[in-house]
Amino acid sequence: MAVSTADHKSPTKLAKPAVKLTAPERFILLKQLRKDTSALVGLVLLSVIVVMAVFANQIAPYDPIKTDLLLGLTGPSRDHWLGTDSLGRDMFSRIVHGARWSLGAAAIASLAIVVLGVSIGIIAGFFGGIIDSLLMRLVDVLLAFPSMILALAIVGMLGPSLKNVLIGMVAVWWVDYARIVRGITLRVAQNDYVEAAHCCGCHPTRTMIRHIFPNVIPTVAVLATLELGGLILAISGLSFLGLGAQPPTPEWGAMINDGRAFFLNAPQLMFYPGMAISIVVLACNLVGDGLRDALDPRMRSR
Amino acid sequence: MGSFILRRVMLLVPIWIGISLLAFLLTNLTPGDPARLALQRELGHQPDTAQVEEARERMGLNDPLPIQYLRWLGHAATGDLGTSYRNGQPVLEALTNRFPTTLKLAALGLAISVTIALPLGALAAVFRGRVVDHFSRIFALVGASMPSFWVAYLLILAFAVNLRLLPVAGSSTWKHIVLPAVTLGIAGSASLMRVVRSEMLENLGQDYVRTARAKGLANSYVISRHAFRNALIPVTTILGMRFAGMLGGTVIVETIFAWPGIGKLIIDAIFDRDYPIIQGFVIFMGTVTLLINLTVDIGYGLIDPRVRPAKS
Amino acid sequence: MGITQLNRRTLVQGVAVGAVGIHALAATNSLAQSDTTVKIGVSEDGYRTDERANVGFYPLNTGIFESLVHLGEDYQIKPLLAESWEFVEPNTWRITLRQDVSFHDGTAFNAEAVKYTMDRIASNGGGSMGLGADSCVIVDDFTVEITSSRPNRRLMQQIGHPNNSILPVGLNPAESRIGTGPFKEVEYVAGDHFTVETNAEYWGDDKPEIAGITFNFYPDPTARMLALQAGDVDMITDVSRPAAGQVEQMGATLLRSPVGGYEAFYIQIHGEEPYHLGADPAVREAISLAIDRNVIVQNAWQGNAEPGHTMIPPAILGDSVSIVAEPTYDLEKAKSLLEEAGWTGDDIRAKDGTALTLTIINGYGTAADHGTVPEILQAQLREAGIDLQIVQTPDTATYEQRLSLGEGDLWLEAGSQNDGNPGFLPGLLFASPEEGGDPESTMYGRAFAPGAAFDEQIEITNNAVDMAEVQEAAALGMNLLINEEHIVVPLCGFFRMVGASEKITEFSLHPSGVNQRWTSLRVKG
Repeated sequence: MAVSTADHKSPTKLAKPAVKLTAPERFILLKQLRKDTSALVGLVLLSVIVVMAVFANQIAPYDPIKTDLLLGLTGPSRDHWLGTDSLGRDMFSRIVHGARWSLGAAAIASLAIVVLGVSIGIIAGFFGGIIDSLLMRLVDVLLAFPSMILALAIVGMLGPSLKNVLIGMVAVWWVDYARIVRGITLRVAQNDYVEAAHCCGCHPTRTMIRHIFPNVIPTVAVLATLELGGLILAISGLSFLGLGAQPPTPEWGAMINDGRAFFLNAPQLMFYPGMAISIVVLACNLVGDGLRDALDPRMRSR
Repeated sequence: MGSFILRRVMLLVPIWIGISLLAFLLTNLTPGDPARLALQRELGHQPDTAQVEEARERMGLNDPLPIQYLRWLGHAATGDLGTSYRNGQPVLEALTNRFPTTLKLAALGLAISVTIALPLGALAAVFRGRVVDHFSRIFALVGASMPSFWVAYLLILAFAVNLRLLPVAGSSTWKHIVLPAVTLGIAGSASLMRVVRSEMLENLGQDYVRTARAKGLANSYVISRHAFRNALIPVTTILGMRFAGMLGGTVIVETIFAWPGIGKLIIDAIFDRDYPIIQGFVIFMGTVTLLINLTVDIGYGLIDPRVRPAKS
Repeated sequence: MGITQLNRRTLVQGVAVGAVGIHALAATNSLAQSDTTVKIGVSEDGYRTDERANVGFYPLNTGIFESLVHLGEDYQIKPLLAESWEFVEPNTWRITLRQDVSFHDGTAFNAEAVKYTMDRIASNGGGSMGLGADSCVIVDDFTVEITSSRPNRRLMQQIGHPNNSILPVGLNPAESRIGTGPFKEVEYVAGDHFTVETNAEYWGDDKPEIAGITFNFYPDPTARMLALQAGDVDMITDVSRPAAGQVEQMGATLLRSPVGGYEAFYIQIHGEEPYHLGADPAVREAISLAIDRNVIVQNAWQGNAEPGHTMIPPAILGDSVSIVAEPTYDLEKAKSLLEEAGWTGDDIRAKDGTALTLTIINGYGTAADHGTVPEILQAQLREAGIDLQIVQTPDTATYEQRLSLGEGDLWLEAGSQNDGNPGFLPGLLFASPEEGGDPESTMYGRAFAPGAAFDEQIEITNNAVDMAEVQEAAALGMNLLINEEHIVVPLCGFFRMVGASEKITEFSLHPSGVNQRWTSLRVKG
């Protein structure tokens, strides 16, 4: 969590590629990515986990919250590949379904953050003036906080639940996107074709969606991928503290919290979900790095 | 220079007001009536309707929001952030009592991450593509991917339970700070190292480094005196932000290691629904972060005159 | 490290060591000391420093302060600073004090100190005893008379609560801690530790045989357990029930107290739609019959609890405990009861188109206190065709808010008894609400009160002078709640558990944590 907090506000070099990708460039991007072994590994890992999340019902051999009271705390066996927890719930099934909760929660938060941040960024940059000033002052205020502090306070006021954790995250994390997107919008808005569209009486909404939004996509895609890992860490951290997902939800952070009680005689209860979080975050970081390298020519030269 | 500092401070005033507004409005997110909750804590049982109404009047909760905000701001500006529901302690006192403990932990955590990140990042850049570079990249990736609460338990298991070198949790001796600080440091070093590496690479590719090399200066001299020193400047500026981030990131670590800092305070407050503490925490940490940024800005202005605005 | 030994645990350790790159050379125990100071790992630092906390040390009991009487491990009161007491009609207790006691600073303990303490309680709301400003009157140096502002014959049972410990005249325990107890304060560092040393001048016969105690705070139960294993502390309190087996696995001793706490759920009988199904006696009885307490004990608490038969600790009822019959588990009977009452169906039962779906509210003290119990209840009631929805409230305040609105059928609670008054909890929770009383302060009564037959017994527990009579009435009341009306379904009796290293040779564990006396601690060497 400390990482995500620290990463969040660091100066970023992502604002650079404010160019619309043409078809051949998109092809180059794919080629670049394919050459990048580690990004490829990340992509494969991430795909596996996404498949796990989507087809959790088909993959998991058992109901992740169904207890079998006679089967508490068993080790790995043919029936239960990763053993069972104290309530006899199948650990493998819980890990598989956990992908849905942990990754799903982060994906929902990420989507909301992107939508909010991009809209506000484009609106501020496009209209300028008083709207821009007001929005940017709000951004300044929110940037004055390490992200985790405000998110914690919001969860504290709303009360502990996974939904409130997501609200807290979204309320805080959109700022970076807004700031960066606004910068890109300001630059793009000066381009002739945008001005032309504007002069031709094109509706502002249309201009924003048709001409500005596509320019924003690459940067936002990189940022979102890179921050997805941080979001997963933050959400699972809050769940670990008991502020997020509540039992019996098989969310990985909450599972580590559940497993704490059995740390000495069944460390696997903490080990597996911990590994799961580490792997999915690692995959996000690998893919994010790869995307950035591919899209940022400056990085590419290295 | 004086006017530069003044200008910086003046810039912060509206932001501080924004922070205070945010902290004030946060209370309105709470489910339930704050007067009832406060009374319930005070009396130990549910108050009756007349008592609640009386308390609402007394606490000024029946006034319009702007009036309430200005009154609250007036109090906050003089250091009166209310009292904790849980134990009646003044909020500012509770925060300032705990803050130095967190500060110590975050400072050591930052120091550890710098100690790891600087040499590793610099070496990775100098020996780009070699073993050191790969190792540092793997370290950075893995370090940034592991949840800190998980790392904390692994460290406890290894160093406290098995090797018995360090205590499990607590804060009374210097030994107690090691594991929580290392937990924070590992997480912080990963991302910092990558910044160091890329800054170093950038400097190593600059003309002045080539010139220095061309002059026949020893490679190690060029790297340490020119490239490394120049790479340090941008790294230093992000350290301030890192530090503020770390102050917010100690929450989990403090909970596990029973470190009685401000993070532990806020978690307890969240579970106790101690809203005055949560509200105070927001304005307090916001102010602290502003001050850290101000210090960094001014410090940077002192080091690098280009940042200062030209006199006009 | 042989292959066979490479289990998951060593693997985890290997990862941890490898990650930091430090190699194990030798295991050194840095904390091995042979003095007779005992280090005890406790949970939260609950020390309160506000004016409203009566003596400021609740709920962390450090042995510094003492009350007039002491609650024994059998929940009967014993003389402590009071030598004897008698009831004077209509409502006064005359208390004779010990004459050989002094405070840690040397000042004498006398009637002045008792009056100062009682007046302080009165000015803070009067406490459970209902004291008023004029309640305590000094008769002579070592005799006081205490008259509650309401009729109160249970005052001596209440006055032993550590919250009512005696302070020297003028002391604010938020600032300093000076009592008459077997231990004296050395140092208090908020959130970290509280250190006390033995009071060499202690007046009692049970003078401690150890040098002192350091209470270290470990809010995280796992960290507390690990601290015991690592040798950082000699003993830990509040061992997590499901994980208690680990204490013995690590070679430490697990000590258990008699039962002092309980876990139970109450069924709302006065609820409005959709929370009205508990009004049907057949539903309540079926619920009671469908609960298999042994499974809860074995599974949720890993054997570290007893199947519960009463709500209040059995010991407090004395010989009358046999009046409260043991509730039985009989799934078939539960099913046939429901059938007879018209609740039919293959899966979830229904009657007149209403499904037998109940909602359980889990949150008193906190949801976490109940571990996996709600899920087990869900599974067991499902067997009888009852659908149970689980609602978790994060804390007591939200729980009570919900109860005051009556939004729920089953209310899961855990509590403990800390004084010697058997009628206190049943009366507080199940007596009929006062006519025209404020809705917020009568929420339990409005949801659960069975009515006149029960109120009569509570009257007796409040007004009888003879304790045997009080115990009998309390037992009759409990039996009515549990076995006749089926409003209370007791699940488990909780005993306290401590984990002790081999340094501890003797310790007598009190069922109520705040009433623990530390004088029985003995150590090696």
